[in-house]
Amino acid sequence: MGFVDYVQAIIDGLLFGTTYSLIGIGFTLVFGVMHKINMSYAAASLAGAYCGLIGPQMLGLPPWSVFPLSIVAAGVIGYVIYLTCFRFIPLASPLATLMSTVGMLLLVDEIVVHATAGMPQNYPAIYDGDPIELGPFILRADLVGVFLICVVAMAVLLALLYRTRLGMATRAVAQQPVAAQLCGMRLQAVNGLTFVVAGLLGGVAGAMIGASVGMLSPLIAGTITVKGLIVTVIGGLGSIPGAIVAGLLVGAAENLFQAVRNVTERDIYVMLLLFAFLVLRPGGLFAAARGRD
Amino acid sequence: MLEVRGLVKHFGGVRAVDGIDFAIRPGEVFGLIGPNGSGKSTTVNLVCGLYAPTQGQILFQGQDIARVATHKRLSLGLARTFQNIRLFTNLTVWENLWMAENAPAHRAEAGFLKRWVGGRGNARERISQALEFSGLAHRADDLAGSLAFGEQRRLELARALAARPRLLLLDEPAAGMNAEEIAQLDERIRMLQQQGYTILLIEHHMELVMAVTDRICVLNFGRKIAEGTPAQVQADPAVRDAYLGTGA
Repeated sequence: MGFVDYVQAIIDGLLFGTTYSLIGIGFTLVFGVMHKINMSYAAASLAGAYCGLIGPQMLGLPPWSVFPLSIVAAGVIGYVIYLTCFRFIPLASPLATLMSTVGMLLLVDEIVVHATAGMPQNYPAIYDGDPIELGPFILRADLVGVFLICVVAMAVLLALLYRTRLGMATRAVAQQPVAAQLCGMRLQAVNGLTFVVAGLLGGVAGAMIGASVGMLSPLIAGTITVKGLIVTVIGGLGSIPGAIVAGLLVGAAENLFQAVRNVTERDIYVMLLLFAFLVLRPGGLFAAARGRD
Repeated sequence: MLEVRGLVKHFGGVRAVDGIDFAIRPGEVFGLIGPNGSGKSTTVNLVCGLYAPTQGQILFQGQDIARVATHKRLSLGLARTFQNIRLFTNLTVWENLWMAENAPAHRAEAGFLKRWVGGRGNARERISQALEFSGLAHRADDLAGSLAFGEQRRLELARALAARPRLLLLDEPAAGMNAEEIAQLDERIRMLQQQGYTILLIEHHMELVMAVTDRICVLNFGRKIAEGTPAQVQADPAVRDAYLGTGA
């Protein structure tokens, strides 16, 4: 392994890291509006990707239909999670939604294991053209496709958040619920829509993870949940730019760890990265560094 | 315009509002005063829908709105300001006004996309008028949280006006203002009355209340103890007792 290989690992990691960014944004978006963590988010995103497989596998639709179906399914699942884990749960109790969403995480996992009999499912690649050669480096064409789609999803989200009334409403409701209601906003509608938007984003992430790994397996949900949370912590809870940068960072770092050590050791270092951030920058990348009390 | 009949609100065993009646006529500036804890703020919160009454009716233009959902009252024509300022501090001044001006309830006829994703186009003119009126035109693109205290108060008023209300509830708009700012507020309230707004004013600053209101309702311990013109209320012995204590 030489320098070129390490740089290659970082490039691949950055391309794949955009999926982590999306998962991190989803966690952060819900946190920004409701000040709650939705623990089931990453599992639900992958469940959306699984639902997409119904199209080609059972309905005889063309392979590409898996992508739009995954995204729509994840949006629907997002709303169902809002209804089951948040809408009727006392929000004043900080533990209630944590419990309900951890329960949902396990439930979603069980359903996926049951539906697939625990077998990994093949997932189509987004594009299978020739790799692009850049001097000594190689860009995997399918990863470039994943990267571009994730970037487009982020751009759409940012436009939605900063240019439309829905985006402003999500920020207004989070910050000043009383005045927001008196400005004619229904809190439940805005909260529900936020879950749908986060769900759609998760659907993109889930589909792109499936497309770059080449398959979906129930084992992925756990690691993606943990990495999504790590991205959220590193980026700072509630910060979307933070989640984007942190996703790229975690993607690049884990691939580098894998290249330097090996795949079984990789996640150990990713977890250590989490602790390093919790100690040194508990508020995330973009918060001012602060000493401990 | 607004009529309150037998309004009661209990919090546990506390009778914050204990059977209040009053009626505000269209085009009137109506004052609601009383010592601290007399039930003024609770009354306003009941009218704008933050609390549901224990008993009683709130008739707005003849319709009982006591059970109408909070977010729907804006489109009926009710808007308010808050004593403790409640702006969307992480949005700009312009966006704060846009949230009220372009409220989904105002556009119930529009489809989902138009309501939530639609552009800013036709709101611009009315919002620039509201900015002009409140003297905030030069701060339009600044974050609301970065405004000075007096500017935040004016933005609260501008946001309430942007909602196109028929009845404007002003909850202690003069709190924390200096004499010059209160004089400006006095002038603004008169201008709003001339423009045809009906106003319910809750205020501790007696000079302002006596100067701008047409009629006043005085509360004490959740009950109405007097109602009438500023002169009548000032002369009322029960009012003097409430403010100064019996035997003073």
